[in-house]
Amino acid sequence: MSETWMIAGAWIAAGLTIFLFSFLYKDNPFFKIAEHLYLGAGMGWWFQVYVYNILGPKVWTPLVVNHDWMVLIPAVLGISLVTQFIPKISWISRYGFTFLMGYGSGLAIPASLSTDFINQIGGTIKPLSMMASMTPFAIFNSLLIAFGVVCVLFYFFFSVEHKGHVKTVSNIGIYFLMIYFGAAFGNTVMARFSLLYGRFDDLYTFSDKHYFYASQLIMLAMVVYFLVHNFMGKDKKEVTEDEAAG
Amino acid sequence: MKLIKKQIPLAIVFVFGVLTLISYYIPHKKSVDFMEMMNKWENIVAAFAFFLGLISLFYSHYSKIARKVDGWGYSLFVYIGFLAMVVPAIYCHGKQMDAAGKTALGWSFSFIYNPLSATMFAILAFYIVSTAYRSFRIKSLQAFVLFVAAFILILGKVPLGQIIWTSVLGWTGAGVDQVIDWIMSYPAVAGKRGIMIGIAIGAVVTSFKIIFGIERQYMGKD
Repeated sequence: MSETWMIAGAWIAAGLTIFLFSFLYKDNPFFKIAEHLYLGAGMGWWFQVYVYNILGPKVWTPLVVNHDWMVLIPAVLGISLVTQFIPKISWISRYGFTFLMGYGSGLAIPASLSTDFINQIGGTIKPLSMMASMTPFAIFNSLLIAFGVVCVLFYFFFSVEHKGHVKTVSNIGIYFLMIYFGAAFGNTVMARFSLLYGRFDDLYTFSDKHYFYASQLIMLAMVVYFLVHNFMGKDKKEVTEDEAAG
Repeated sequence: MKLIKKQIPLAIVFVFGVLTLISYYIPHKKSVDFMEMMNKWENIVAAFAFFLGLISLFYSHYSKIARKVDGWGYSLFVYIGFLAMVVPAIYCHGKQMDAAGKTALGWSFSFIYNPLSATMFAILAFYIVSTAYRSFRIKSLQAFVLFVAAFILILGKVPLGQIIWTSVLGWTGAGVDQVIDWIMSYPAVAGKRGIMIGIAIGAVVTSFKIIFGIERQYMGKD
């Protein structure tokens, strides 16, 4: 990749980043352009992933090179989905959807049972069987998890009315849920902020002389745009008010 | 007609659902091969499902341009963005890197898709902060617990927070990293496990309902 392409890339990346950040001030055409570009680029990216990683090696090559006709079955089921656009024969798309639903459901049962059900119960109970070799703090932690899981399950158990002791236990379950939600929220915030630091870091890199001050110049252009737009908007508003008064 | 439109699709769900479920528990080469084949088939059908979405998106933006509705010009950028990724992909046969370094597709990914995607999610940081202000107005003890858990997690992951913790709560002997680790490993796990067990039961029940044709909303109307 030549130096010119790298500099052009830096200008495009800095421009698109600043266009999207400009939404924090207010909605504007540059944000909308970047937003629509993102939509198109995202679809383009996944299009090439599906073409070069799935349709090429899993449909085209087996069919044309290896003459594996079995591949025609999922291909036809897949094509059937597109009949959704023709109302008269849209029922054909059911064949593709039912395959996806059948396979997905058949896979979801053992996967959910092993990872989300049995493993979670096992993880809660197993430490309780090893208490003899655990420190007092580890025993406390194991009991805390077991107690918390039972309380949370009581909160989600609607077959008995939540009153008396059941209500007390389910209320304690809410506190465990709140700790989890708080922790998940904190993690999400920090993940978003790390992305933000990454964008600032890129803007800082592209503000270098080597990139012809891409970040500063684009930001300056955006500021000028907003100033001009604001003043013109004010003038237009005054003219409209004068016309209304006149 | 009812047979073709309704009963055969329901039979497909049942047959593929039951075969996949049974194959998972049979430790035999044939069932392993079957699962591999099903996985490949699912990938292929899912790829076509993506094309369904793509055609729908293109049609929606095409009709905006054709009818010249407000802001129709922005719809052109959907096509430009799409071509900015697909044309280099065709040129480089879907490869991001070659012996000479980054290809045209790699360039498009690094300088168009990646900045757009990362910035779009980074913007959410600002909105999350404003949401946090609203949700952290402590109205009850439960909201306070949520606030404390989130606050410790956020505080502990920035150097300034670690300095504040050491100077205020340093006497306890527990570092903020240890406290975060304890929250994530024990009380938060208890909450998460309760939810996961609930989700698993829900997923299993819904899957059985789909396999046996009790739940059939995905088939649409007749």
